[in-house]
Amino acid sequence: MNQYNPGPMKKVITIRFFWLTSLLFLISPILSAQNEAETEENEPVDTYLSFIATYTSNDTVVLTAHLFIRRERIPVDLQNAPISFTASGDGQQLTIGEVFTDSTGKARCLIPTTSLPRDKEGMVTYTADFSGTDNYFSASEVFISKPAALDVSFYEEDSIKYIRVSGIQTGSEGDDAPIANETVLLFVPTLFAPMPVGEIYLEEDGVGSMEFPMTLIGDSVGTIMIIARIDENDLFGYVKGGSSCNWAIPKHFLKQDKPTRELWTPVAPLWMIITLLILLAGVWGHYVYAVVQLIKIKQSAKKESA
Amino acid sequence: MASEKELTLLKEFTPQIEHTNIKQTVWMIFLAAVIVLGFYALYVQITEGHIVTGMRDNVVWGIYIVNFIFFMGISYAGALISGTLHLFKAEWRKPIIRIAEFITIIALLIGPCYILLCIGRLDRLYYLVIFGRIQSPITWDVIAISTDIFGCLIFLYLALLRDIAAIRDFQEIRIPKWKRKIYTFLALGYTGTPEQKERLHKATDIMAAMVIAIAVIVYSVLAWIFSVTLQPGWHSTIFGPYFVIAAVFSGCGVMIVVMWLFRKIYHLEKYITIKHFVNVGVLMLILAALFGYFTFSDYLTKWYGSERNDELLINLLFDKYYWLFILSNYIGVLLPMIVVGIKKFRTINNITISAIIVILALWVNRYLIVVPTLESPYLPIQDSRPAWIFYNSTWIEWALTAAGVAFFALAFTIGSKLIPIINVSELAESPQEEEKILE
Repeated sequence: MNQYNPGPMKKVITIRFFWLTSLLFLISPILSAQNEAETEENEPVDTYLSFIATYTSNDTVVLTAHLFIRRERIPVDLQNAPISFTASGDGQQLTIGEVFTDSTGKARCLIPTTSLPRDKEGMVTYTADFSGTDNYFSASEVFISKPAALDVSFYEEDSIKYIRVSGIQTGSEGDDAPIANETVLLFVPTLFAPMPVGEIYLEEDGVGSMEFPMTLIGDSVGTIMIIARIDENDLFGYVKGGSSCNWAIPKHFLKQDKPTRELWTPVAPLWMIITLLILLAGVWGHYVYAVVQLIKIKQSAKKESA
Repeated sequence: MASEKELTLLKEFTPQIEHTNIKQTVWMIFLAAVIVLGFYALYVQITEGHIVTGMRDNVVWGIYIVNFIFFMGISYAGALISGTLHLFKAEWRKPIIRIAEFITIIALLIGPCYILLCIGRLDRLYYLVIFGRIQSPITWDVIAISTDIFGCLIFLYLALLRDIAAIRDFQEIRIPKWKRKIYTFLALGYTGTPEQKERLHKATDIMAAMVIAIAVIVYSVLAWIFSVTLQPGWHSTIFGPYFVIAAVFSGCGVMIVVMWLFRKIYHLEKYITIKHFVNVGVLMLILAALFGYFTFSDYLTKWYGSERNDELLINLLFDKYYWLFILSNYIGVLLPMIVVGIKKFRTINNITISAIIVILALWVNRYLIVVPTLESPYLPIQDSRPAWIFYNSTWIEWALTAAGVAFFALAFTIGSKLIPIINVSELAESPQEEEKILE
């Protein structure tokens, strides 16, 4: 019988092996540390600010500033940074206030449009400003647009249901005018992102309409919100309005014709039940066979002793 | 009745069963203390809630699930190794097969406990039975694991039966009466008659085949819990076989380490020889190659596909988790290949060291499967703070991890005090073959 007895040569190999392994472990962190050292910088970092003003119904505007830095070209949001908002026009300046960015790097501010300073053409210049810190450079962004509003309503004609959108550009002294020759996008809000449902062209009178899409699914009584939006317009920037109706298909009208794989369905698909039963029967059948053999061993022992 | 050869072998192993020396007592007290610390951590977790762990809204699974996968993996590996060696009648298996069987059952008892630690409302655990849906992979896993536990217990019992009967018949052994009564009860009156031998042989063969099949199915089910979801890094068709390979790979590592420990502690140099280390080492080498192949195949297709979230995940693995990724997928794969593949490195100590590194690498591999994926979800959550997005394990989780490892070691120690760690009956079966087995 050969007993294991490590000779001196094997001990040397073992020691070498230890060194080799240790070396492997040591080299990697050193290399990785070098990489980190190369990228480490002490200077302040450039910041980037994106800024928009969105006009909503009830003569209000939502100012949204997004502050971020770029790390290896990937944007990283800056949290808890103070952003100052101002509005100006025709030599007048109005300080709106300071808002801190949230965890997504966004600072939002909702104000009425009625008291904003405007220039001769009725335009408002909005400014978002980040004054910077020891670690981050300052950033500033301007957004110029004319206050506007979109109104969504519904009507029925010859048993056909329609969505109507009217656009109004508001003047500083109540001299409102229609938003003419513009395309408005229509959406339905969903859990994550608005779902586009169509487009409406606003005529000279600022009004446009389209047939209500009858395939839309609403809540349990068929209520649905329709949102009208003008995006990235040269004059108005972003304008948003919305309204609800109960013309959508009520959700409870939908029913499943057969069991599916969803966890909440009461019955699993048949193939799944059959597969599971075959597997379990096969496995447990063999277990029973093994246990029966054990019982028979016990019985034979009893017989023998008797 | 026990054969003469069996009795000779038993004489050699009875000191382990009869006496516990001071070193072993201290060792067991130490392990018990670690387990008590784990219970304290569990008490803190139950009274204060899961806020004391590193698990949050985004990363809902942490090192508990990693431990679950790890322990279940080594358990299936034990089942696969013992079942396969038994079915193929590999003679060299005889001195080490009991270790594989012990690994199977002990790890199988520890693994599911970590799932329970992940559950916030343990008082609602019975909902799983009342409201359980067959469509849920979690339900598949519960059914599969409970089936596996029963199968492995039966297989272990069948494998132990002849040794239990031999101890019962061995009059020279000095054990308390109650212990002897237990052996008598568990031996089922087995005396080795041709009929009993045949029945035992049939049942063991069938259960050996079953534990292999169950091990593959159960570990695949565990893999499907991940792969049926659309998470980046998890939604992969090769996850089933990949998990099975990784499980047997890590199990081989654990087996080598346990073999080394028992060989040292109980002076089993005569029985567990370089041949056993090399044979299990070669198995580990083959599995290392397969594991490397699966890993490369999985990441290559994800990287080449350039799907946005897969790219983010791969960037995260090569940035934040760079060092762990290298350990898991390079060092853990290449080291056993070098050590076992190159003859001059092929020593017992070297193979054991590479097995330790394989165990660490495979644990880290499971960590890299679970945590970075949860840290890079498809949908951003609102008002997410860095502490909610990124996972940082706490001392509670580490204490409970240490308790699991301590329980594994303690159960092994106690097990070796109840039954010889070498399968005496099998080894005595063919004395003329003994030279070949132990050479």
